[in-house]
Amino acid sequence: MRPPRPRPPGPRRAAPAALAALLLTAACAPPAEPAGIDLGSGPPRAGTVRPGALEGTAMTFVSYGGSYQKGQEDAAVHPFAEESGARVVTDGPTDYAKIAAQVEADAVTWDVVDTDAIWGEAHCGDLLMPLDFTAIDTSGVPEGLVGECTVPAMQYGMVLTYSTEAYPEDPPTTWADFFDTDAYPGKRGIGGIPNDPAPGPYEAALLADGVDPADLYPLDVPRAQDRLDTVRDDLVFWETGAEQQQLLESGEVDMAMVWSGRAYAAVDNGAPYTVSWDQWLPVMDSLGVVKGTRNPRSAMAMINYYLGADQQARLTELTSYSPVHTGARPDLDATAERFMTTAPGRAEQAAPVDREWWSANQQDLVQGWSSWLAGR
Amino acid sequence: MTTAPPAAPASGAARTAARRPALLLLPALAALLVFFGVPLAGIVWRALTDPQPGLANFTWFFTHPANLDALGRTFTTAAWTTLAALALGYPYAYAMTQAGARGRALLTLLVLVPFWTSLMVRTFAWMILMQDSGLINQALGAVGLGPLHLIRTPTGVVVAMVQMLLPFMVLPLYAVMAGVDRRLLSAARSLGARPAAAFLQVYVPLSLPGAAAGALTVFINALGFYVTPALLGSPEDSLLSQEIFTQVNGLLEWGRGGAMGVVLLAMTLGLLSLGALALHLSGNRRRP
Repeated sequence: MRPPRPRPPGPRRAAPAALAALLLTAACAPPAEPAGIDLGSGPPRAGTVRPGALEGTAMTFVSYGGSYQKGQEDAAVHPFAEESGARVVTDGPTDYAKIAAQVEADAVTWDVVDTDAIWGEAHCGDLLMPLDFTAIDTSGVPEGLVGECTVPAMQYGMVLTYSTEAYPEDPPTTWADFFDTDAYPGKRGIGGIPNDPAPGPYEAALLADGVDPADLYPLDVPRAQDRLDTVRDDLVFWETGAEQQQLLESGEVDMAMVWSGRAYAAVDNGAPYTVSWDQWLPVMDSLGVVKGTRNPRSAMAMINYYLGADQQARLTELTSYSPVHTGARPDLDATAERFMTTAPGRAEQAAPVDREWWSANQQDLVQGWSSWLAGR
Repeated sequence: MTTAPPAAPASGAARTAARRPALLLLPALAALLVFFGVPLAGIVWRALTDPQPGLANFTWFFTHPANLDALGRTFTTAAWTTLAALALGYPYAYAMTQAGARGRALLTLLVLVPFWTSLMVRTFAWMILMQDSGLINQALGAVGLGPLHLIRTPTGVVVAMVQMLLPFMVLPLYAVMAGVDRRLLSAARSLGARPAAAFLQVYVPLSLPGAAAGALTVFINALGFYVTPALLGSPEDSLLSQEIFTQVNGLLEWGRGGAMGVVLLAMTLGLLSLGALALHLSGNRRRP
C-alpha cells in the first residue's frame, strides 16, 4: 500500500486554522501589554505618567456608570490614555459576578475596577491582586484609606438628612432622633440592598441604642437588628443612589440615611432637605486591579495617575464626591462645599467605621442582613 | 380562525425538506443546545458541586425559612398577576372579537404598543406614576382621596407586572376566541338558553384553551420576573429571582444561586406538566 502523501498546508487550509486560532486566543486570552514597559526612573509621582510609556497597551477601566464614571473618565482616565498612549476601553457597571467569572475562567478583560471598598478588601488576593506600591504614589492619600489591594477612588458619607418642611423647628439631628418615632414621627429612608449591608443602619441603630462610639466594634448585630425592628413600620428601603434621590425629591420620606452625594444632588435640585453631620459614617469606593490581568504594569500606572491632586480636584468638581488627595483644591460653589466630607471639622464629627471588621465578616453580614430584610 | 387555502404543490426540494422536518429544526435546536442547554447544565452542575459535591446547596435552600418565604411570595405574586391579567384580559379579548375591523386594529395596537416598549422604561414609568407624590396620588388628592401607597408594596408590583404581561394573556385568548363559532351561541339560544347561560355554558368552555394558554404563559413569566419587582418592590418582599441575584452577585455563592434556579425551574416544569395534563384531560372529556 502506498503511504498517504502528507499534504502541505496550503493557503486554503491554513486560513481557517489561523482564523480558529485567532478566535480562540481572542476568546481565551485577552491581549497582554508589551513586555518591558518603561514607566520612567525614580519614585512614582501621583497624577503623572511618562508620556508615551504605554504605547501599544490596550486596557479596560470599569466603574459604576452614570455621572460618577463619566467624571472619573473626564478627570483621570481619558487624560491618562492621552498622555501614556495606552488605548483605554471603559466598561460598566461593576459586576462582582463578572469579575469572579473572569478570574475563574482565567480570561480577565477588566483591568482597573471601581468597587465598594469593603468588598475590595474582602476579596484581596482571590479576586483582586496586591498593588505594586513602587509604581503608585499614595503619599497624598489621607491616612488609613489604602489597602494591600485597594486605593480609595473617592470618599463620601452616610448621612442623616431631614425635611425642613416636616421638621421646621427642632429637627432630628442624631441617630437617636432618627430612631425616636415618638418625638419625630414620619417615614425614614434607609439602605436596603440585600447583597450589600453597607456600614450605616447597624452603626446608627447601636449609637441610637446608647452604645459609645468607641465601643461600636465588633458590632452587636442582633442588638442592632432588634433596634431596627422597633422602627421597621416607618422604614422605606432604597436600593440605589437614584432611588435615594427619588425618595427625597418626591417627598416620600421625612428623613433618610443616604449618601452625602445624593443628598447634595437632591438639595441642588430644590428638594427641601438638609443634612446633619453629627455622627456621619465615612464610606468610599476603591480602585483595584483584577487578579490575572494581562496589563498589571499599565493598571498600576493608571491608578497612580488617578490619585493626582489635580485629577482628584477635577473629579470632585464633576461628581460632588470628596477627593482622596489632601492637596486637591476643587473649585466648588457654597452648597457643594457644605456637602464635602473633607470640609474642615467634618472628620471630628464622624462616627468610626471599621472597614477591616466589615470585610473580615462580609459573608455573615450579607446573610444576616438579607435575612433581616426579608423579615427573618 | 379561517381555514387555510390548500397548500400549493411543493417543489422537489421543498418536498424533501418537508419529509425531514427534523432537518429544518436543526439550526434552532443547535442554537438552543449551545446557548441554553449547555449553560443550564452548567448551573445544575454547579448546584451539585460548588463548593463540594453533594446536596448541600439544596439542603441549605430548604432549611432556611427566608428562602421558603421568598419561594412562597414568588408563587403568590405570580398567581395574583395571572388572576388579574385574566380578569382584565378576558373581556378585552372578547371585545376584540366583537369590534369592527377598525376597532379591532385599534385594540390590537393598544395591546402591542406597550409590548414594544422596553420593560425598563415601563418600570420607570410606573415608578413615576406610583410614587407618593406621583400622578396617581395627585389625581386621588385632587378628588379628596388617598394617598395610596403603591410603590414599594406587593400590590404595586402586581399592578405593574399585570401591565407588562397582559399581551401574553390577551393574544392567545383572542386567537382562540376568534375561532369560536358564534352560531353555537345562537343555537343555544334557539334551544331556550338565556344569553348569560349560553355564554357561560357554551362560549366560556370553548374559550378555555386560550385562557389556559394565556394563564400558563403569564404565570411562568411572572415566576421569573426580576426587573419590575426589584425596582418597584421593597426588599422586604423580594422574590426568588432577587434572592438568586443576591447569591450570585453579592455573595458569589454560585452553587446556592444555581440550586435556587434549579428549584424554580423544577417547580415551573412540574406546573407546566400539570397544566398540560389538565388540558389534555379536559380535551378528552369534551370530545364526543
